[in-house]
Amino acid sequence: MKQTIIKALLCVVVLLCSLNASAQIKALEKYADMKNVTYVFISKYMLGMAEKNAAFSVPGVNLKVLTDKLSGIQIISSENRSVRTRLRNDVKAFLTKDKYELMMQMNEDDNKVNIYHHIGKQQSAVIMISDNDDEFVIMAFSGKFTMEDVMKMTLDLH
Amino acid sequence: MDELDYKALEQIPIPEGLEERLSAKIDEWEKEEKKAKRRVLRPTFLRYTAVAASIALVFGLGYHLLSQDKYTNLAEQDTYQDPMMAQLEAQRALTLLAANLNKGMGHLEKAKALSDKTEKRLNEQLNLLKRYETDHH
Repeated sequence: MKQTIIKALLCVVVLLCSLNASAQIKALEKYADMKNVTYVFISKYMLGMAEKNAAFSVPGVNLKVLTDKLSGIQIISSENRSVRTRLRNDVKAFLTKDKYELMMQMNEDDNKVNIYHHIGKQQSAVIMISDNDDEFVIMAFSGKFTMEDVMKMTLDLH
Repeated sequence: MDELDYKALEQIPIPEGLEERLSAKIDEWEKEEKKAKRRVLRPTFLRYTAVAASIALVFGLGYHLLSQDKYTNLAEQDTYQDPMMAQLEAQRALTLLAANLNKGMGHLEKAKALSDKTEKRLNEQLNLLKRYETDHH
């Protein structure tokens, strides 16, 4: 009897966790229908299709090592000045709220690139933010991966 | 033998109202037994666990449904229906990430090389100093 109840409880916990685990970052979903914002979402299914294609390769970059573990890619970009300011503030807030860690920061000429990561048991994410005078771009890579997987992608470039 | 006993038993006078009293007593026992059966409940821990699990399930489902904002359906749709376009965009995004990470790592390697060079120079100077000290002692 006791074991049955424990099993049932575990099922409930797994169910709730799976309901909350999403293929993409929820905080960025609101930009899907925003004016002056380009929102791109590539699902795991589409990534799988792309991966099967022989042309899905870039010399020196090991795309497969990360693509296998991704559940989705979100790309949000805007050239509009006021939207860029809003995006900048929103992203800053949600990165702090969800405890993302700064992985890399690069300031080159007029372009600022910040890469953040959040490694979780259920879902991990790497967010790359590119901010310059013309455009603000957020690229979010979600899935179940480790930092090693991310770094392995660049090993062939050395 | 049995017949004799039966006959002897038949001769014993039955007290008045015994049958009624016995049947009332049996009814009473039956009622008590039923009550006792009803009272056998599961241990407190299990009851609380079951209640907690039910509450968690209801709240979890409710929260999940409420947190689904109006953009969710739109955001969950694949932007590209053409796998080729999706492939190009994914390739572009992943390459940009790899290139930027690599750039950062490149700077790190440069810094490490500079630090190694400085350390080497420092060691050389220290060795020279030691040699000078031993020569003059």
